[in-house]
Amino acid sequence: MPIWLNVISRVILFMIFLFFITKFLGKKQLSQLSFFEYVTGITIGGIAAIVILEVRHSIIIGLLAILVMAAIPYVVGLITLKSNKFRDFVEGRGSVFIKDGKIMEDNLKKERYTTDELLELLRKKEVFEVADVEFAVLEPTGDLSVMLKKENQPLTAKDINLTVASIKEPQTVIMDGEIMDEPLANIGLSRGWLHTELEKLGIMIENVFLGQVNSFGELTVDLFDDKLQVAFPQERPLILSTLKKCQADLELFALGTESNEAKQMYGENSEKLQKAIEKITPILKQ
Amino acid sequence: MTVVSDVKHLLASLKGVEASLSSLTLRTIDDESKRTLHETMMVIHEVVTDLKKRVGEIEQEEFQYKGF
Repeated sequence: MPIWLNVISRVILFMIFLFFITKFLGKKQLSQLSFFEYVTGITIGGIAAIVILEVRHSIIIGLLAILVMAAIPYVVGLITLKSNKFRDFVEGRGSVFIKDGKIMEDNLKKERYTTDELLELLRKKEVFEVADVEFAVLEPTGDLSVMLKKENQPLTAKDINLTVASIKEPQTVIMDGEIMDEPLANIGLSRGWLHTELEKLGIMIENVFLGQVNSFGELTVDLFDDKLQVAFPQERPLILSTLKKCQADLELFALGTESNEAKQMYGENSEKLQKAIEKITPILKQ
Repeated sequence: MTVVSDVKHLLASLKGVEASLSSLTLRTIDDESKRTLHETMMVIHEVVTDLKKRVGEIEQEEFQYKGF
C-alpha cells in the first residue's frame, strides 16, 4: 500500500474512532472542566497525530493507547461522583480572589495571577471597577465568577415588587416552511389549529421561515419575504381593555341607577372586577 | 340609548371576555397563569350572573324593553 493511501485510511479510521470515543466520554470531556479532561484531550490528540503520520506505528497499538487514555477520565469521573475528598483533590477547588469587596492578595500570589490579569478577567465579565465587586472566585477551569454588590446588580422584578406572569418556554413549530409535529404535540395543539392561525394572519406556510408559539398559545412568525409586515398577536391586550371598559361601565351604572339595591349590586361587582383586573394585568399586558 | 340596552350591551361584552378568557386558559401551558386566568373567569361569571338577574328585573318593571 502506498504511503499516501496508508495515511488517508489511518486519518479516516482515527477520525471515526475519536468521534465515538468523544461521544462515549460525553459532554464533560468537551467542556474540559477538570484537569483530567484537559490532559486526556491533549494526549489523545497527540497519540492520534503520531500514529496517523508515522506509519511504522501499528494502528492497533495507537487505538489501544487512545482507548486506555479515554478510560482513565471515565473511571476517575465515576470515583469523583462517590468521593468528595477525591473530587477536591482531582478537580481542585476555586480560589477566592475578592471577598467582602476586598482583593485577597495572598490567593492571587498563590495562583500566580498579576493585578493586570485579575483586571482583565473582571473586564471579561463587564466589570471595570473593582469597587463594584462583592465576591469573585477563580474556578478550577480558570474562569472568574463574579458576584456584584447588590446595588450594582441588574434590577429584577422581585426588587421592585412587580408581579409578572409566569411563563413556559416557547415551542418552535415551523422551521423552513415545514411543520414540526413533535413540539406542536407538546403544547397540545394540532396542525389544524396552526393552519387556522396562519390563515388569520393571511400567510402561506411555504413563506414562513420560523414560527414559534409562546406559553399563551400565540403564534409569532418570521417570513422569508422580509418586506411583508406580520400582525402581532393582539388578543390579550384586547381582553384587558374590554375588561377595563366593562368595569368603568359598571361604575357608571352604579352612579346612574335610582334603585338602591341595583346601585349596591353594580358597586360590588365593579369592585370585584377591579380586583380581578389588577390580578390579571401582568398576564394580559404585553 | 335606553338604560336596559346599556346593561345588555355590557352583559354581551362581559360574556365575550369570558369566552376569550376561557379559550386563552385552555391554550395557556403554564399552570400558575392558567389558574389566575381561570379565577378571573369565575369572577366575571359571577358578575354576568348578577347582571342577568338585573336585566330580568328591569324587563319585568318595564315590559316594553323585553327581548334584544
